[in-house]
Order: sequence, then C-alpha cells, then structure tokens
Amino acid sequence: MKPKRTIRTQQEPAGIDRTGRIEMEIDLILAAEEELMPSSGFLASVMERVQQEAAAPSPIPFPWKRAIPGILLAAGVFGWGIFELIHFGWPAPGSSTLNSLTLASPHLSPAVAASAESAGWVALALGASLLSWLLSRRLAGRGGLL
Amino acid sequence: MNAAISAEADLAAVEQVLAGDAAAFEGIVRRWQGPLINMAWRYSRDRGRAEEMAQEAFIRAWRGLAHWRREGSFSTWLFALAANVYRSELKRFPTETLPLDDAPEPSGPASQQRELEERGRYETVRRAVLALPPRYREPVVLFYFHEMDVAAAARTMGLPEGTLKARLSRARALLRQRFPYLEEMDDEHAGTEFSALKTGKEAAN
Repeated sequence: MKPKRTIRTQQEPAGIDRTGRIEMEIDLILAAEEELMPSSGFLASVMERVQQEAAAPSPIPFPWKRAIPGILLAAGVFGWGIFELIHFGWPAPGSSTLNSLTLASPHLSPAVAASAESAGWVALALGASLLSWLLSRRLAGRGGLL
Repeated sequence: MNAAISAEADLAAVEQVLAGDAAAFEGIVRRWQGPLINMAWRYSRDRGRAEEMAQEAFIRAWRGLAHWRREGSFSTWLFALAANVYRSELKRFPTETLPLDDAPEPSGPASQQRELEERGRYETVRRAVLALPPRYREPVVLFYFHEMDVAAAARTMGLPEGTLKARLSRARALLRQRFPYLEEMDDEHAGTEFSALKTGKEAAN
C-alpha cells in the first residue's frame, strides 16, 4: 500500500484545503486495509470442487443434425397453417368466410357439422402428439438414451 | 513472486489445465487466493462470505479458462471475472449495510472523533463505502484494492479511465459530505495508527 500518511506529513503544502485533507484521510483509511489470509482449507476446498467438475461428464450437445428435419417439418406445417388461415380468412367478393367453410359439408346439419369439426381437431391433436412421441423415441433411441 | 514469473507460471498452468491436467489449476489458486479473497472482502466485509465468493470466482475461472484471450494478462482477466461474480453474488444476496445517511453523524469535530473512535473509525468509513450507490461503490472498492491504480481498476471494471475517475470523484464527494470532520484528527495519534496498520500489513505480507 502507498503510505498516504507520509505524503500528508512530509509533502502537504501549507495551503492545502480542507477538502484535500479529508480526501487524504479517506485515502489513508481505505488504502491501509488489513490483509486477510486465506483459511487453511480454502485451497483444498476449491480443488475439490474443481476435481468434481473435471470428473463430471461433459454436457450432451444438442443434436442439431437430428433435430433439423423435425424443425423444418414443424416450420412447414406452421407456414401451411398461416397460408390456410390467410386463404380462408380473406373472403372472396360476394361470399363470407362462414360460407366458404360451411360449403365443405353442405349435406350435414349444423349440429353434426360442429361435432365433426371438434372431432377432427381432437384427431389432429392426437395424431400430432403420436408423431411427436414417435419422433422423440426414435431420436432418443439413436442417441443411446433408451 | 515476481510479476513476470507469475505471468509465465499462470500461462503454463492454463496450458496444462486446457490439456486436461486439472491438478495444474492448484498453482493458479495458490497464487491468486489471497488477492481474490481480499477483493471479495472489500466487496462484502464478511470473511466467510468473502471465501465463498472467491471460491465461486475460481470455479468460474476454471470453467472459462478457454475463453481467456492471451493478449491481456491473466490477472486482468481473473480480476474482471471475479468482479463480475462478486457483483452478481451481492445483487442476489446483498450485504447488510446501513444507508449512507445512517452512518454516524456527530454534531462537532470533538464528538465526531470520539464517536468514530468508539465505533471503530476506520471500519465505519470502510462500511460507508458499501453504503454508496452501486455505480460509485465498485470504483472505490477496486481503486483501493488495486493500490490506487486507476488504470487497473478501470480494466477490472471494463470502463474507460475517464468514467472511472468521474465516478471516483463523485464517490469521494459523497464520503466527504458524510464525514466532514474526518481530517481534524490528532496527527500524532493518526500517525501511530497508520504505522501500526502499515507494520501489520507488512508483517502479513
């Protein structure tokens, strides 16, 4: 540490202002800090943790090569969904969206059509879940996790 | 240890660790445990916590050794990393400090001296540093930790020197306001205290 007190007593000009003296005092106090000695077990404790880290298996990298087809497929489905949404959401002149949707099942009563639509969504969700489960099983099996 | 020798030893140890010899990290810990614990102590003023924080800094250094770019010195990289660790640790679990305005505020010089002496004048000022707003606290901690080397403190914080000087200046102004009678201590008494501190420090080194 630099001996601030020596500076003050030996080099302090006679006209040094009060602010300067306070700052010197703050310098003295904050610079003259006692040194802590590391406790006896510190080194061993750090090295123990380092050895644990070194022994731990390295994290499994994300399987990008295997995931890319799935990501592309998902992006395609999403894009197709957006396209269909825009396509049906944009009614042609003289016809409403509702008409264009109901035209697909003109022979069904509204109640039956509503039930069929719900069932269709449920089937689609189940199918997507099944595909997702099969895909993840396949990926995990290849990776030796199963 | 000579700085050049230490730098060479650090570089060799890092190369060994990166080559798979985890035990070579011990040399790094042995060389830097003192500075890192003392730096953490200045951040927290809690001995137990200082060691915990220093340990965490070493573990982060171990994990990130490959990210040390050789153009800077190892010590600069290590101190900057430790400062980041200490900052985030103290953000998660702040140290208990009195607000700056609650530091002893005596009515006059005599009572200030008496009161400060009673409560440990030096420790009061050091703890007042921890009560500074964060943007001013860290420059003060690092400036005095680096033995009043502005460039080293600025490198550790990753700030331009001018910014660090400005924050340091503001921090000192806040401390000055808090301790307006600090300079009116008995010079002879202060000289004795300083010599004792200096002797103690030299003995510790």
